[in-house]
Parts: sequence; C-alpha cells; structure tokens
Amino acid sequence: MAAAGGERPDLEPGPELAIEESEPEPESEPEPEPALAAELAARRSAEARRLVLSPRRLSGPLPAGLSQWFPALEVLDVSGTGLTEMGTELLSLPCLHTLLAKNNRLGGSRSLPKGLEQAPLSRSLRVLNLSGNRFSEVPPALLQLRGLRSLSLGGNRLHGIPPDIQELHSLEFLYLGGNFITAIPPELAKLPSLRYLVLCDNKIQSIPPQLAQLHSLRSLSLHNNLLTYLPREILNLVHLDELSLRGNPLVVRFVRDLTYNPPSLQELAGRTIKTRNVPYTPSDLPESLVRYLSLASNCPNPKCGGVYFDSCVRQIKFVDFCGKYRLPLMHYLCSPECSSPFSSASQSSTSQSESDSEDEASVAAHRMQKVLLG
Amino acid sequence: MEQPLQTETWKAQSLEELVRILHRIFAEDKVSVDEVQALMESYESNPEEWLQYAKFDQYRYTRNLVDNGNGKFNLMILCWGEGHGSSIHDHTDSHCFMKILQGNLKETLFEWPEKKGNGEMTKKSERVLRENQCAYINDSIGLHRVENISHTEPAVSLHLYSPPFNTCNTFDQRTGHKHKVTMTFYSQFGERTVCSLLNIYYIR
Repeated sequence: MAAAGGERPDLEPGPELAIEESEPEPESEPEPEPALAAELAARRSAEARRLVLSPRRLSGPLPAGLSQWFPALEVLDVSGTGLTEMGTELLSLPCLHTLLAKNNRLGGSRSLPKGLEQAPLSRSLRVLNLSGNRFSEVPPALLQLRGLRSLSLGGNRLHGIPPDIQELHSLEFLYLGGNFITAIPPELAKLPSLRYLVLCDNKIQSIPPQLAQLHSLRSLSLHNNLLTYLPREILNLVHLDELSLRGNPLVVRFVRDLTYNPPSLQELAGRTIKTRNVPYTPSDLPESLVRYLSLASNCPNPKCGGVYFDSCVRQIKFVDFCGKYRLPLMHYLCSPECSSPFSSASQSSTSQSESDSEDEASVAAHRMQKVLLG
Repeated sequence: MEQPLQTETWKAQSLEELVRILHRIFAEDKVSVDEVQALMESYESNPEEWLQYAKFDQYRYTRNLVDNGNGKFNLMILCWGEGHGSSIHDHTDSHCFMKILQGNLKETLFEWPEKKGNGEMTKKSERVLRENQCAYINDSIGLHRVENISHTEPAVSLHLYSPPFNTCNTFDQRTGHKHKVTMTFYSQFGERTVCSLLNIYYIR
C-alpha cells in the first residue's frame, strides 16, 4: 500500500516517502532471488533515482548487481519485503541518501553489512527507517553512518540506547517510540542538531538532566512511559515547542537532581524569604540580592504558595493541551498539587505570592487564563 | 451516482462525488447524521484522489482544508505521522465526522469534567478505527483524543465538521481544566497556507 507522504519544510524527503516511483507494480508472491535479479537487470536505468521493491518477498539480501543496474539510486524502499539482512550490495551504492526498510525481519547480527565505515553510504545516507523490525539493540554498524540526519527504530525490541549514539553527530530526527527502553544515556544529549526526539511508549523511568543540553530540540515525545518526575533542567530547553507527558505516573513536584545541580544556598535562602514573608527593605541587602528576590515567580494558581527563581520563565507548549499555547512548565507540574488544600506547598498562610482570598480567586483565575493563552 | 432511495443511501464513487453529494445533502434544512455517516463510509479511499491534500509535518498532525461546503460544513484531511496525536478536545456544538483514509487512528472518549472538578478525567471508552470506517461525535456524546499509535505507519483521515468552527477547548487529562484555542489550516485546497508557515495559533 502506498504510503502517502508529503513535504517536510526542513528536511529532505523523510521516512514518509512520497509517491511510488514509475517503477512497475511489483507482484506479491514470493520472488526467488534470481528472478528478481533478472527483472531488475532488465529494467536497469542509469538515471533512475528511486526504487521501490515493496511488497515483494525477498528470500535473500539485496540482489548483487543492484548498484550496477541503478548507479544513480538515491532512494531505496525495501519496506515490507521480509528482508532478514541487507547484504553487501548496499556498500556499492554511491549516492543513496534515503533507505526505507521498515516492517521487515531485520534484527540479527548480520542485518547491516560489515564495512559500512568505508562505504560511500556512511557519508551519503541521510534518512534511515528501520521501524517495525526486530532489533533488540541498535546495531553497532549503524553508528558508522555519520551523515545520518533522520533515524527511525520505532516499533522494534530495543532495551536501551547505546552511548555511542553520539557518533551520529548530524542527527536531527530520532524516533525510538514503541520499544522497551528503560533508560536514556546522557550521551544522547551530545547530539547538537537533534530537533525531534520521540521516546513515547517505552519503559523509561527517568530523564537525565543532561538532556537539557539539546539546545536544538523542538519536540520531545515522552508519553506512555514510567516517569515519576522531570528534572528541573528541562526548563532550559528554550526552543522546545512540544512536549508530551501523558500516561506517566508523574509525581507533581520538581525534583532537583542533586548529583548534577544542587540548589544554591542563594536559591534556598530566597525561597525561605519569600514563602515565610521575611521582611526586608532595599537598604537591608545588596542591590544584586534585591534584584534576585524580585525575580521570584509565583505559580499562577492562586491556591499555591509555590515560589521559584528563574530569570525568565520557560514557557513550553504542551501537546496535551494544544499547539501554540504557552504554559509555564512549572505551572503544569504544580497545578494538581496546588489545587489540593493540604499540599505542603500551601502550608504558609500568606506568602508573598498571591493571597487565596475568595475575591481574588476569580481575578487570579483570569490571570491564569492570560498566562495560559500567552 | 445512485439516486437515493427512501432510506437515502448514497454511494460516493470518488472524493469529488462525495463532496458533490455532501453539498446536496447540506443544502437541505435538515441533515441526518446517519445519512452523512453512511455516505462518508461508502467512499472507498483512493489515495490518488486525495494525495494532493495529504501534506505531512514532521512534528505534529496537520489539518488540510478540502472544501468549505458553502459555509455549511468544512471538509478537511488530517495527516498524522507516527506517534502524532491530538489533545483532548470538544467540538464547539458542531457535528464531527471522522473517516479513516489510510492507516489507523485510536479514538479515546472522555466524559466532560465536573464543573468544579479537579481530578483526572474519566475515560469512557477507546477504539481503533480502521481504514474506511467513519466515526461520529458531538459535544453531547463527550470529548475525545485522537492519535496515531503506530510507530511504523502514517495515518490519514477525512473530517467533516458542521457547522464549521475555528475555536474549541482543549482539556488537561490530569485536571479537567480547559482552555480555548484557535485552529488553523496547514493547507487549503492543496496549497500551503502562510499563517501556518508562521506557526501562529496552531491547534493540536
């Protein structure tokens, strides 16, 4: 079945490869290799840039000779062909930039050929889709594809992500949804161009705070995992447009990862001053500290006494809420607890945050609406 | 085009014909939900007919206007990449028909949250819609989230909304809090829209 695809504004043709080639419609009964080879040889073309072999059944690896018959091949789609190993012919394709091999039986140690490091493919390949296969680990050979920009291993059997993933330094799009991943290596954060990271439908229990170093990240999909908290550092992802968190047993509380970024004494003191209403005047403190204290932000929820210090509130839109709709991450995480009258955050009677008088509730609700609508 | 019998059973042989019949149906004062749903289901998806509207975005699902129904309805095609899903949303007192053109979509129905409610929203039911099936919802039935749960296949769906609307509410599953949002189109009649390029007020 042809997958409908479309333009991506930023990338070259992505995993959703568009329209099938003008190559003739392949038959669906199992194709013994010699017959396929003969057919491909007969249709050889020095100009053809795209070849779709699906949904034939391949009994062996890609037929030897492919690179001679189609030397200009840039896009190869062997999805749904039952492929168990790619074979060495891949190494001879001089200008392949997109390889789609989803829904096959790849996953064994011979899935990718040896010698990728020296092959033109290691520099030319931009897009690799191996979703719907049987990989239980990211094949080390894959990490030789240094030019890779888009990688999908969705719907496989991965239990982890190798730290050497950082070798794919051009990676912009990484889809790992639907696996059995339990942890994220901090080395993932060393991918400077990563814009879209999908980790939904896994078994992830925590996010390393180093992920905050992914400065190019636009979209982070974490829904349906086992996350109980998020590291505060996630607020540093200023370019993040979308973040999905549903289906996680999130405990609604910020937890600072003390190993990496313990709260400063200044912050702890500042919070105490604000939540306990310790009085001070500008003449009591150095100007820098007065300014610091003025940066305290309050959770917009009027019932929450939560106060935090951020020089600018990180506003991240939530996929769960709506598209272009900005909501402070703090508020998102704060709100269910804030609305509970017995939460520890609201122990103080009147902090310097908003008072919770009934009259102000509606004003505050209105303000919340404004904050939420950006 | 078959003439409707007393039970008004239509069969749309193509997307173009579907649109034509819809215009006829909606020209009347009264429109039957069952009739529209049956009509939508009767159209057998043919990618050649809608590929021009099926513009995918890397990061989120897209809404691509196909026909504006003389103001009576909006017909649009939504394109869902792997893992793409919507928020929980209502339908602003309109009728919503959703037909799968390719792939599968999971629809999760939710109860309306209590007025003063501050707890997790209640799931009513969920189902996976298959190719050519057509679902229907309106505000009296409830709220829903729609998502492509496949990690390998994109999905494409055909939506009809009547009357047309461009704002709705999205809901936070954990609290039931709602927020009004404005929706835009990624493309209209097969052409990318400028405001989408500027990414203003894009609803998910």
